[in-house]
Amino acid sequence: MFRSPKCGAFTAALLMSISPVLIAGPLGIGAPATAEMIAGWDIDIRPDGQGLPPGAGSVADGEGLYEAQCASCHGLFGEGAGRWPVLAGGEGTLDTAHPEKTVGSYWPYASTLWDYIHRAMPYPAPQSLTDDEVYAITAYVLYLNDIVDDDFVLNQETFQEVKMPNEPNFYIDDRPDVVNTRCMANCADPALFEIVTTINGVTPTAHFKEDSGVAANHYGNESSGAESVKVALSDAAVAGESVHAKACNVCHGAGIAGAPVTGDAGAWTDRIAQGMSTLNKHAIEGYVGKNGVMPAKGGNMALSDDEVANAVAFMVESSQ
Amino acid sequence: MTKLFEPSLPKLMEALASEAQGLKGMDRRNFLKGGIAAVAGLASVQIIPKANAEPNLPPNIPEWQTYLGRGVVAKPYGEPSEFEDLQRRTVPWLTADAQSSISMTPLQDLEGIITPSGLVFERYHGGIPNVNPDQHRLIIHGLVDRPIVLSMDDLRRFPSVSEIRFIECPANGGMEWRGAQMEAVQFTHGMLSCCEWTGVKLSSLLAEVGVKPEGKWILAEGADAAGMSRSIPIEKALDDALIVWGQNGEALRPEQGYPVRLLLPGWEGNTSVKWLRRLEVGDQPWHHREETSKYTDLMPDGRARRFTWVQECNSVITSPCPEKPLRHRGFLEIQGFAWSGKGKIKAVDVSFDGGVNWQRAELKGLVLDKALTRFSLQTQWNGEPWLLQSRAIDETGYVQPTLRQLRDLRGGWSIYHKNSIHTWNVTEKGEVYNVQIS
Ligand code: HEC
Ligand code: HEC
Repeated sequence: MFRSPKCGAFTAALLMSISPVLIAGPLGIGAPATAEMIAGWDIDIRPDGQGLPPGAGSVADGEGLYEAQCASCHGLFGEGAGRWPVLAGGEGTLDTAHPEKTVGSYWPYASTLWDYIHRAMPYPAPQSLTDDEVYAITAYVLYLNDIVDDDFVLNQETFQEVKMPNEPNFYIDDRPDVVNTRCMANCADPALFEIVTTINGVTPTAHFKEDSGVAANHYGNESSGAESVKVALSDAAVAGESVHAKACNVCHGAGIAGAPVTGDAGAWTDRIAQGMSTLNKHAIEGYVGKNGVMPAKGGNMALSDDEVANAVAFMVESSQ
Repeated sequence: MTKLFEPSLPKLMEALASEAQGLKGMDRRNFLKGGIAAVAGLASVQIIPKANAEPNLPPNIPEWQTYLGRGVVAKPYGEPSEFEDLQRRTVPWLTADAQSSISMTPLQDLEGIITPSGLVFERYHGGIPNVNPDQHRLIIHGLVDRPIVLSMDDLRRFPSVSEIRFIECPANGGMEWRGAQMEAVQFTHGMLSCCEWTGVKLSSLLAEVGVKPEGKWILAEGADAAGMSRSIPIEKALDDALIVWGQNGEALRPEQGYPVRLLLPGWEGNTSVKWLRRLEVGDQPWHHREETSKYTDLMPDGRARRFTWVQECNSVITSPCPEKPLRHRGFLEIQGFAWSGKGKIKAVDVSFDGGVNWQRAELKGLVLDKALTRFSLQTQWNGEPWLLQSRAIDETGYVQPTLRQLRDLRGGWSIYHKNSIHTWNVTEKGEVYNVQIS
């Protein structure tokens, strides 16, 4: 095949280069991570306080922030609205048949609370709180759990004083704990058997039985809400649809925490009658209504006023 | 062919008959249908093949053979036949919303041991982020000599491996701690999937950055709204941990962490952090929310186990199951899955009488480390009621426990790590119900 001597030499070189090369040490792949890059992403906090940034927040400051940004889901006293997580209470229940695991009754470290609120809450707008706000809201949730007093101010130093009551009650996994043997005959006494069956109708079985009305998804048997709406939308509403999906649907999609469901005309008629400027003001600045708390911008302060107004346009036009 | 097994039931059924007096309402009705009718010798229902007047059946020429079919690339990616109903499903009331929620794999519909990517169970704590792979970065820093930032391109330059491993949510079966609740195998066991994963060993990445001697723990963190974070001991990281971008021969699905995730074989699914953006090496664990408030095991004395990482040996029969009742008398191949977070499955036994007597099943096809393993038992069914169970044994010698053994130690209100022997009540009509023997 190769006629010229040059090609022959090339083949020889190729053959030599495919012999395996053993790799030792770094391969030199990737770029150095700069201190600045790391600082932006290194958000974790440890029980010893490592990672806590400078800053401070009081229980008093935390109260207003909590009521505006957290209470719609977690309840004014941390009792949990509807099916959202309970944040306070439950002391003395862990060894009962109905244990209630909350920040106060269960969590071993206060650092976890700071870390988690900062990285993941408020649920619709993670990483939107300032460090001082996280200090204040953390202090307030600790106060709701009777772990600090009402004049407490949380900062890097006072953090060291906070002791969580349930800390001593955790221990390292000690499984395997159960020892079964591989018995093959007469292994159990049927006379002692107690048979427990399921309660029909609590799980979705419509895909293999005729008798079930429970849907196997979060949207019911037919799609509901904004998804099923087929009206011609204005440009603002079209632009608002993705904002709605990201920042508003969490509450307005299924009517969580008292929010009017997008697409449910009945829930919107009276609201729309107030006029767009009131609706926009309520959505941008937040307000407390008869049904619950609408957090400013749905809790997502990174949204511009225009984006929120577009989302309101989408909600209104889809709900007429 | 394996020996056919003839379960002998009269004594058991007699005991169950008196037990049934204690049951109420719906429970009792199902139970009576299941057990007592057959014992009392009532005429059983014959299952007759449906008479056919179908134009497509022989001797007729099927309609689809009489014209040309679809050509190449009509569907460039492709999808299952329209006649299949393959779906992940959820139980909506388990969670407040769909973003922090769970859906289950239809184990009853699977063949072999691989879960198709589109059917892998889902668990998110803040929805699926829409990550652009060109803009995604993985930072590795902390107690290392050379902190680095890697693009997806960089990651793919490392020597890669492909492994078949299961992933299971530790809450799999968790709804069943207090009593039988879910009426389908998809919901009792479906937070479980098994795929071929392709990526780089985490140990290779750690060699690249050079872990300092004090480096004992690694924090893995996701780029999702939950900023999912877990502490991983260095031993696991250096053992079999992978950083994967491939799943069943293609890129990871967004649901499974596209473009890159951690994979900790045999450990609770939550530790295999998806949409991985950061690995920090430290000298202590972080005790974050998903390893304190969640994914810890509350014991009856009010104390709690932490770092409950391993998914212990477990098994379940998927055929028959509530979704796949028995429709034919005579020959029957019973099948199911066994798996262990500690290694390979050594054996699986099947019981027809609620665990009184056991019969060894066969392991079918590939038997891999920390992978779903299929088992099978060939038998006959002639309308007798069964309390059907499977019991797996792994290569460490650990024998899957009974529910009573688990409850005696851990109480009835745990959430995680319920790996006890599961019972299906097969009625004389061939219907299959989820029951518990306690
Ligand atoms: C739209 C509803 C919503 C809002 C508003 C909200 N949260 Fe949450 N919160 C959730 C959900 C959902 C979870 C559970 C997430 C998961 O499943 O991982 C949660 C979990 C928590 C937890 C952990 C609970 C546990 O037991 O593990 C804390 C603490 C918390 N939120 C605090 C806050 C704070 C503080 C705010 C206000 C800054 C806030 N949340 C706002 C929905 C909300
Ligand atoms: C944490 C839950 C939550 C989120 C997230 C949320 N809302 Fe609301 N919203 C509510 C509740 C609750 C109400 C009803 C309050 C009442 O009237 O009692 C409401 C009411 C409204 C109203 C009606 C105002 C009125 O005057 O009747 C508008 C408009 C609105 N929200 C817009 C938005 C927009 C736009 C977003 C997203 C940017 C959003 N909401 C996100 C909970 C939420």
